[in-house]
Amino acid sequence: MEFEAVIGLEIHVELNCPTKMFCDCPNRYGDEPNANTCPTCLWFPGAAPRLSEVALEKAALLCLGLGAELQPTSVFDQKVYYYPDLPKGFQLSQAHLPLSRGGGIEIADETGKPKRLRIHHIHMEEDVAKLVHEMEGRVPISLVDFNRAGAPLVEIVTEPDFRSPHHAMEFLKALRTQVRYVGSSECSMENGTMRVDANISVRPRGTSQMNTKVEVKNMNSVRHVGDAIAYEFARQRAAVEAGEAVVLHTRLWDPDKKATLPMRAKFEGPCVPDPSVPVIALSREWIEAMRSRLPEMPAARAERFVAQHGLSADEATFLSADPDVARYFEALVGEGIAPRMALHWLGTQLLPAVKERGQELAATKVPAPRLAVLLKLLARDEINANVARKVLGAMFDSDDAPEAIVEAGGYRQVSDAKELDLLIDKVMVEKKLTAADLQGGQGKAMGFLIGQVMQASGGKANPKKIRELLAKKLGTA
Amino acid sequence: MDSVFVHRGSETAILGSGRLQGLRVALQPNLSVAGWPTDAGSRALADFKALEDATIVGRLRQAGACLCGSTRMSEFGFGLENSQAGEALRTKTADLELVLDLMGESRLAAARAGVCGLKPSYGLLSRLGLVGLVPSMECCGLLAADVARIRDTLQAIAGKDDLDFSLPDEEPSDLAPRAIEPRRTTLGLVGEAQGTLSAERDKAFRAAVGKLAAAGFAIKRLSMPDFPLFSLVHRIVGSVEASSCAGRYDSVRYGRRVPGARNWNEMYLTARGAAFGSHLKSYLLSGAFFQFERYQAFENACRIRARLLSEMRRLTAQVDALVSPAVGPVDLGAPPSLAETYAGFASTLFANVTGQPALVLPAADVAIQLVGARRGDGLLLALGERLLGIVKGGS
Repeated sequence: MEFEAVIGLEIHVELNCPTKMFCDCPNRYGDEPNANTCPTCLWFPGAAPRLSEVALEKAALLCLGLGAELQPTSVFDQKVYYYPDLPKGFQLSQAHLPLSRGGGIEIADETGKPKRLRIHHIHMEEDVAKLVHEMEGRVPISLVDFNRAGAPLVEIVTEPDFRSPHHAMEFLKALRTQVRYVGSSECSMENGTMRVDANISVRPRGTSQMNTKVEVKNMNSVRHVGDAIAYEFARQRAAVEAGEAVVLHTRLWDPDKKATLPMRAKFEGPCVPDPSVPVIALSREWIEAMRSRLPEMPAARAERFVAQHGLSADEATFLSADPDVARYFEALVGEGIAPRMALHWLGTQLLPAVKERGQELAATKVPAPRLAVLLKLLARDEINANVARKVLGAMFDSDDAPEAIVEAGGYRQVSDAKELDLLIDKVMVEKKLTAADLQGGQGKAMGFLIGQVMQASGGKANPKKIRELLAKKLGTA
Repeated sequence: MDSVFVHRGSETAILGSGRLQGLRVALQPNLSVAGWPTDAGSRALADFKALEDATIVGRLRQAGACLCGSTRMSEFGFGLENSQAGEALRTKTADLELVLDLMGESRLAAARAGVCGLKPSYGLLSRLGLVGLVPSMECCGLLAADVARIRDTLQAIAGKDDLDFSLPDEEPSDLAPRAIEPRRTTLGLVGEAQGTLSAERDKAFRAAVGKLAAAGFAIKRLSMPDFPLFSLVHRIVGSVEASSCAGRYDSVRYGRRVPGARNWNEMYLTARGAAFGSHLKSYLLSGAFFQFERYQAFENACRIRARLLSEMRRLTAQVDALVSPAVGPVDLGAPPSLAETYAGFASTLFANVTGQPALVLPAADVAIQLVGARRGDGLLLALGERLLGIVKGGS
């Protein structure tokens, strides 16, 4: 029998708000343990939670960015369980009436066909503290850092629409792009601002059964999510084929063993309404105001790039995936650079150079207007592509104008016919080439000759011009 | 410390100047006064001192009141076990007392001490700095010898608090005094709310109602067959809220740890085991039971609560106030069972379930309770002032 996987994801995204969700403590990573705490997020007696407006706005923008429908009424519940990472014995979360319902993302499946993966709902919740387990001599001790306790999160719960690791990975990549676009989070699995749990079950292909699912946690990259799903699908299929029952439980992905291993479940009870956080009532006007704050989303932007700049769908998708890249591209085009040249230089030269130097595109030493000056020199044939690459490298180490770097390096392209003729003659003599050689062997000898002339010019000769002059010499022009 | 107070403030410390100039206010150690022991009557918070003033404490200070001390209270204010609420007024060591009202504690304490006691509308007083137990039902009650003093204090402390988001976004209530015209005022008697009174008390209550009728008030008889459900709803919803509210007393961040635990789980068990008294423990366990084992019952209780609320709103809308006897446990004996505790507050707890304001007036043989529409505290106080003169003096 052939089996298929039925997969749903639960994705926690940490919102990049300046404060925590229910108090004014900084929502900042990497500070001294317990530096960012107050009576509210430590839940001292008499403390009262105050829902952050910024957190609500960022969460709402995220929902709208994913095509979800904000609910006019949503409510916080208490998810009750007892664990030292929870300072009050319950986590404030929205279990019954979430912030939004619906939404989804369209991805390209393995065959390139579009597939829509639906979102069931998105709810807000607070993060928990971090536990550190250590030994004090021979005594095991647990330390609690409450800096993260109360940090604002949303949880995106998908429908079980996913059938393969590919679906999950593509969804996560697209999700990351869209959430970055709306500016609600960096969505980095590596630094923990996006955490993904996958619910996986198997069934005979083509049936609509919903069988017992297993939850898999602890994946630290999009790649790991794919690997963990592939492993878990194979494990469950083998179990079913061997006639064993799949038991409802939670497993942890072990990236070293490349396997999922069972974990001890946390004791968790049903959620009860929280009486202290007021009901969140969103007016139609508020929702529309949020919607008007949405930027152009990647799919729409890609479509516009195709229509406006004559790019292919793939090229446009590449440029739109990262809002910084899209902005940079548009800035280059705005400076008068041809779209295709902008795409080519951004994709093959600038981005690798920025990455190599560990810079952020939004704050690089070579912002779009500066690169545009260089590309204009190239477009006007004042320098050639080789030189342009060299100058670009130099621009990262110098604040000088591109023209100044070109002049200082004596890089200006040689297009002067007399000068080039002399060079051609010199090379033909040195390499003992005759016109007959060139006419006979055509392309090969011609290419060789152009290369030699370029070399003799120190890389400054205009290759187009050389070709013209040669053609004239051989009477083929 | 003496038998009434667990902590005494400096009686000469009068900081602000305002309408409460010199008023001696006694409160309970569950209301935060910066630097004061704030254990809410529980070992779970032994040695805990409040870091900041509760919002209403700050307002009392600003109005010129003098915080004269905190009185002995039951654990987290649940019931009247070991509570000395009302005693500071009876012994004339305070002019006004603030007493947490979870199911009628402040009102029955007032009845016991022979003073007036108001549980304001839910949402009228900030809860910031209140160490509570049942957030959706509890409210600080105000006790004083006369209604005017309660009104003055309420006017000073009620209203919006930018730091307490749980307060409903409503216009401020009109608490100003107003004239009551008996001939234009209807009082409702809900048959089921009168409970089972001793013959003596029944007679006294009838006599009081007779006096009100004689004074010209219209008396309207009403019925609410579901009235007994109030106790059930309070017991289920209240205990579930209490259970999750007390979840924070885990000895991780504050509170006493019991040495010897081998892991955090044992630490929780031993610390919580030592922290709570048996009466509260049975309440918390009952809440955990409903939450984890009978969740459906909890959901039903929430639904029934909504129904009772609208039914009560319908009844209240037909009259200016409901009148019922306020009778409850007066003796400070051994901790009773949960069932006995709930039976003791059967005449008062419905106002906690609905969030309505309730005022208890002293009378010779049986205290009279007036219950108004939510946010109708101003009218209720005016009515109380008028009625007090009529019913005082007993049968």
